[in-house]
Amino acid sequence: MKSSEGKLSLVSITKEFGDTQEKVIAVNKLSLDIEPGEFVTLLGPSGCGKTTALRIIAGFETPTSGKVLLDGVDLSSLTPDKRPMGMVFQSYALFPHMTVFDNVAYGLRVKKMSGASIKEAVSEVLNSMSLSHLANRAPNQLSGGQQQRVALARAMVVRPKLLLFDEPLSNLDAKLRAQMRTEIRSIQRKLGITSIFVTHDQDEAMSLSDRIVVMRNAVVEQVGTPEEIYRRPASVFVADFIGRSNFLKVESAVAVGDKKAQIVVGGKNMQVASYSENLLSEKSVLLVRPESIQVSMSSNSGSQINISEGVVENLVFYGNHVEYTLESNEGKIIAVVSDPVYEEIVPVGKIANYSFDPTRTWLLPLN
Amino acid sequence: MLRLKLIGTFILTILGISLALVASPAQAVGNYSGKPCAIEGRVYVVTGVTYTCGRVNDVLVYAEGRKLTGTLNVLCTPQEAWCIAMTQAFQAKTGIPTKFIRLSSGESLTRLLASKNNPEFDVWTGGPNDSHISGRIQGVLDPYKSPTRKMLTKQFQDSDGFWTGIYMGALGFCSNTNELSRLGLKAPKSWDDLLNPKLKGNVMMAHPGTSGTAYTTLWSQVLRLGSEDAAIEYMKLLNKNILSYTRSGSGPTGPLGRGEIATGIVFSHDCTAAILRGNPLVVSFPKEGTGFEIGGIALVKGAKNPDAAKAYIDFSLSADAQDLGPAKAESFQILTNPRAKSDPRMVNLRKISLLNYEAEAAGIAAVKLKARFDKEVALTASAK
Amino acid sequence: MRSNLGRAKYDFFTKIALGLVIFIIGFLIILPLINILVYAGGPSGSAILRGSISDFVTRNIIWNTIKLGVTVATLGTLFGFILAYTQVRVEFRGKKILHIINLIPIISPPFAFATAIIVLFGRSGMITRGIFDWRPTLYGFSGLVIVLTLSFFPIAYMNFLGMLRSLDPALDEAGLSLGANKWRVFRTVTVPMLIPGFAGAFLLLFIESIADLANPLIIGGRYTVLASRAYMAINGDYDISLAAGYASLLLLPALFVFLIQRYWAQKKSVISVTGKPSGRPILVTSIGMRSLLLSFTGLVTILIVLIYATVLVGAFVQIIGVNNEITLNHFRYLLGGFANGAIKTTTFLALIATPLAGIFGMLTAWLVIRKVKRGSEALDFLGMLGIAVPGTVIGIGYAITYNDPLKIGGVTIFPQVAGGAALLGGSIAIVMVYIIRSSPAGQRSGISMLQQIDPSIEEASASLGASGAKTFRLVTLPLISGAFLAGLLYAFAHSMTTLSPIIFLVTPDTSILTQKILAEADQGRYGNVFALCCILIILILVIGGLINYFVKRNQVSIDRPMTRSR
Repeated sequence: MKSSEGKLSLVSITKEFGDTQEKVIAVNKLSLDIEPGEFVTLLGPSGCGKTTALRIIAGFETPTSGKVLLDGVDLSSLTPDKRPMGMVFQSYALFPHMTVFDNVAYGLRVKKMSGASIKEAVSEVLNSMSLSHLANRAPNQLSGGQQQRVALARAMVVRPKLLLFDEPLSNLDAKLRAQMRTEIRSIQRKLGITSIFVTHDQDEAMSLSDRIVVMRNAVVEQVGTPEEIYRRPASVFVADFIGRSNFLKVESAVAVGDKKAQIVVGGKNMQVASYSENLLSEKSVLLVRPESIQVSMSSNSGSQINISEGVVENLVFYGNHVEYTLESNEGKIIAVVSDPVYEEIVPVGKIANYSFDPTRTWLLPLN
Repeated sequence: MLRLKLIGTFILTILGISLALVASPAQAVGNYSGKPCAIEGRVYVVTGVTYTCGRVNDVLVYAEGRKLTGTLNVLCTPQEAWCIAMTQAFQAKTGIPTKFIRLSSGESLTRLLASKNNPEFDVWTGGPNDSHISGRIQGVLDPYKSPTRKMLTKQFQDSDGFWTGIYMGALGFCSNTNELSRLGLKAPKSWDDLLNPKLKGNVMMAHPGTSGTAYTTLWSQVLRLGSEDAAIEYMKLLNKNILSYTRSGSGPTGPLGRGEIATGIVFSHDCTAAILRGNPLVVSFPKEGTGFEIGGIALVKGAKNPDAAKAYIDFSLSADAQDLGPAKAESFQILTNPRAKSDPRMVNLRKISLLNYEAEAAGIAAVKLKARFDKEVALTASAK
Repeated sequence: MRSNLGRAKYDFFTKIALGLVIFIIGFLIILPLINILVYAGGPSGSAILRGSISDFVTRNIIWNTIKLGVTVATLGTLFGFILAYTQVRVEFRGKKILHIINLIPIISPPFAFATAIIVLFGRSGMITRGIFDWRPTLYGFSGLVIVLTLSFFPIAYMNFLGMLRSLDPALDEAGLSLGANKWRVFRTVTVPMLIPGFAGAFLLLFIESIADLANPLIIGGRYTVLASRAYMAINGDYDISLAAGYASLLLLPALFVFLIQRYWAQKKSVISVTGKPSGRPILVTSIGMRSLLLSFTGLVTILIVLIYATVLVGAFVQIIGVNNEITLNHFRYLLGGFANGAIKTTTFLALIATPLAGIFGMLTAWLVIRKVKRGSEALDFLGMLGIAVPGTVIGIGYAITYNDPLKIGGVTIFPQVAGGAALLGGSIAIVMVYIIRSSPAGQRSGISMLQQIDPSIEEASASLGASGAKTFRLVTLPLISGAFLAGLLYAFAHSMTTLSPIIFLVTPDTSILTQKILAEADQGRYGNVFALCCILIILILVIGGLINYFVKRNQVSIDRPMTRSR
């Protein structure tokens, strides 16, 4: 069920901290439109401004300039309690002096709902999140995952137009984190509440989001679907931040029609299947993801394109894949080969051929 | 929640009290001299009206009929026990709630000056009358001539009525007998005996700044030695033996009783009271003559309840009230009302030599002389 | 220039609370202080201020004050440290009892120590003369140092106790594992870590001891300090300008030292506040050191016990040490009219002030930590002024400011609240003093509690639609109720025992217990002093116990508050 309500627009939001002498810009001219029911993640390293942006949306911070519009209504003059939003905090922020039931009921009680309907609504949401048996527990008697669920239940039960998540999974262990990701995504899909999720974890961003906003030093580096972000990163930073990357220094590049280009890397001619405009004239780098690289014994080299060789410097066997570190003329190359044939693994110290498909490459501006 | 209710209650209480405090002023009924009365100076309460029995043309009649209302605020300088006995008796007699605060003379004068524009007291009772004279000069007192004045000798009344004497006391030396014998000394018989080096750190008196007793001591030196300069010189010498200056005149009696010091300068009645409490003390007087106080009572200028204050002054002058001192409060000052009972524990003025103490002159000189004492004696000495 | 402040958005409740707090601080402390400085500019006041440089007498009073402050602060800090160190690092029986005894002086009524010390150790002291035939003179510097050190060292003791307990034993272990012996570790690891603690305790005790008025009045002898001189200027000379001059001489060093303490000593602190120690502290085991520490601690403890025993016994005998006949005369006298009014009034006023001071302290703490974006340090400092400013100065400031209605252009903006002619007999001024003197303790404990509570708990409440006031009531207050309770108990005990500012404000309607004690102590009626002290201590214990019970009963139980995870 998609809701028609919950369209959020950020219009050139800027937030400065400190006084005029020591001014720190936390968010710089952030503009973004989020469609009703969309799940958007703000992703970036710590200090990039993603949390500040979220807190501005929630109303905990006042932007220095810019506007927050929800369904066309300017929220600037509203304090957090007047905004129709639910928030899930990194630390869960459960009220330690209230039971699970009271925590979830809090928002409804504040809205002065009747006792019966509060009970009904809370029971329903606790049920749906399999928390019913914990209703009378105190928060500190719950496990981390359970606390997380209560926090989510508490935010959702008030039927907000917008759900805000501030790194809610960072305090959980890896397994639980994966499980909660799925749970959050499915509940969000079911309720169709527009959601904004802040994280520095790329896996979370990739697995949860309709769109990802990558931020760095207070500005947006790129907005796109997980696939776009991964395959067509806008900058070295984005490529580096999301997934692992080999950056090969491009010495020269010539367009050869149909968006294809001929480039020279480490003195070798190579082909690129696609690139964005106006990169040829600048200095650029070639992005090749480690899993896009094939590695083979140097003896059985063929006459393929985009092929080179390097000395195996390090090799780690993970069972389902092998990770090579090669020293080559083009620089250090990381290659991940999945499901390797035992006999074809190139040992350390030997020379290996490596190659990659032109369609799996992408040209990036050099910073 | 309960906490908030509690706070609410407090606030309501405050509001309630302030509303209840709308006091109506006392109503003067006017002089009433129709009926004769029995005992001169006695205060009678007849059907809610307070009368003082006074002498008019040699006939005793009820005078100064006053219908008292409100409460009476008394500024009281003598011992607490005395203040309690007097105010409680007045309250019992008239039904007027009577409150007091006990402050030494200097402190009393300060408070009167501080609240000059909006007086907090109605009547100031007790303490050497040079403080009252100082108060008159500084404009914090109003004159009131009680009908009972006629009973008193001239020396106990201000001709303009700014103060009236309620008791009299003589300065004496109060000594701890054990300490004296330990030091191999006899009870001092002369002001100069106090300068004995053996008494170094063994003498206490109050500070003239705060205490009327101490100021009487200081002014006695002026009288005895002839000039303020000579008095200050004597105090400088005495200062070498002084352990501490207390706030109140009777302050030295405590350390004296404990044997912290050997001797002190206090009003003899304060020493007598301490002896009665079981302290090993003895009173002696200087042969050169000693200073004395006339304990004054005065109406505060702009008193909120002048009628009650006047009735209180009349009452304090009556023999009934004055007898309360020895009877109820271990206070053995000489009483000013000739009808008041004499007590063997009071000092016999005929056996001691008194200086020709002029409270008027003492009161006029007070401010400057106190400042001089502070600067040249107390503080300079503490610097050494 | 567009400043952040102009755009800072406070919700309605925050605005109200901030306005209220600023209003209270303004009238309860700032205005009296300004008046002190204004009056000090008068002829005799400015003469004194000039005299502080040129005049021998004035300079001497200043020197006396500083000498007393430095001596008491040094000894008190040392006592506090040794006792705390023994408490944490030496294993012995009866630790708990010793700890409680060492804390008792905090709620001691004024004069209890001064009078008991004279009875025990004076020239005719039961111990000095009775046992050793020794006649030391306590009136003056030495007596003041003994009494003030014993009265104030618990402040240092508490500071050090907290620090030593949170000192990570791993540091000592590291030192030992590197081959240093325990003494060396103590010198090179423990003490340097505690240097800010030493500085902090020293400065606090310095302020406390130069501010004290009660003891210099009773056992100061001829040793004149600024506080007692300012008192004399008002009560002897009736020179308000002069008193204001002395008061500002007292005020400036106190404020200066307070600022150093707050912003230097605290910032230098290297001890992690949050970290619970990871192991058991390394104990002192050498027999020599153990017996040294234990005998010192034992001595101090015995001294305190002796003092309180003297107070207790002295209340029930005629004249302790002189006439030891058992009697109830003192109580009969006190309860037969002398002190009834004072007991009722003091308790009543303290009970009014207590919740107000508690709420005010919590509100200020909450604004400082959570709400005020700019100037929160300044707000914190202003809230703490009540203890930074010596009581004598506050009392004089109130007497100057509130003995008349406050008028601007003929319009009364604040009624007369001090003096017998004031509304409610001057009791409002006394309540105001109680509040401003005791709220800083609540503010401090509130702040340290709030710092441990994740702010997102309150944000969660806001995001669920609760207004600022609702959040404060439903979430913040329950979470800091521990600090609130501590603040209440302190406020009550402190109000009941405060004297210096009150001396200037008592009226016939508002006679105050401590002022009665002063009167009796000054007249040397120690039996009454001891009996009054007993009454005061019992009142504090009983009512404090009731407050404790009342608040705890209504307190939601929190085993462990959610702690900050970031």
